[in-house]
Amino acid sequence: SPRYAALCPAAEGEQRARSELRERFLRTLAAAAHKAARFTMYERVQVQARFGASDVDVLNFHVADLQTPIGVQRDALLRAQDVISFSFDL
Amino acid sequence: APRFSAAPPMERPGERRSAEMKKLYGKDAPRIQAMEAAMQLTFDRNCDRKQPKYWPVIPLRL
Amino acid sequence: MREWREKEALEWSRYAFNLVRVTVCGDVQYEGWVFTVDPVSASVVLVNFPKKGQTCVQVVMGHAVETVEILKEADENITMQLTNMFSPAATETLSN
Repeated sequence: SPRYAALCPAAEGEQRARSELRERFLRTLAAAAHKAARFTMYERVQVQARFGASDVDVLNFHVADLQTPIGVQRDALLRAQDVISFSFDL
Repeated sequence: APRFSAAPPMERPGERRSAEMKKLYGKDAPRIQAMEAAMQLTFDRNCDRKQPKYWPVIPLRL
Repeated sequence: MREWREKEALEWSRYAFNLVRVTVCGDVQYEGWVFTVDPVSASVVLVNFPKKGQTCVQVVMGHAVETVEILKEADENITMQLTNMFSPAATETLSN
């Protein structure tokens, strides 16, 4: 509300920054869908897969055709806690 | 089975979530909430249809 | 200084569109232009343009981030490239 904004303009700036950052992140994950992705995980594990989707809290990634050291797993869930980074080409 | 829902169980999770979203995102809360709902729906649907198993079975980081 | 994950959105947004070096696990480093920082997970989205017409996106998980160092400030050109990165067609996948 304008009254709240007048009392606390800093909060509104923080909210705007937060929503811009979050929207760009959600668009990034949407753009990753169906793309070939490379995951760098802890314990020097590197795997490739097709990116599926993430849950909103960014705790799990659903991936397809995960190339594990012992073969291809058709569908898998990667724990975000196990992942250091992942990359894909637009 | 893993829990996929973002909201912890409570009496009125939708209402609580909306208030929380409003606090975090201000006037943009409905837009962010809609985008998040679409993303969560895709994730839940993938999990329902494909029943993915965790890989690796044991977490790399405990 | 406050931990990366504990920062506020306004602090993260100051990194947007700058060229940065992100350090994880003590020694591994990533460089790229910051597209965004997820305020939920503190994950950093870096973008690189290795060749003309090629865009590589790297998402570094917030829990792994140790330091983020600014190498080069954003300019008008990169800001425009990054803000136009997702065409309307690309963003439609959100509602699929």
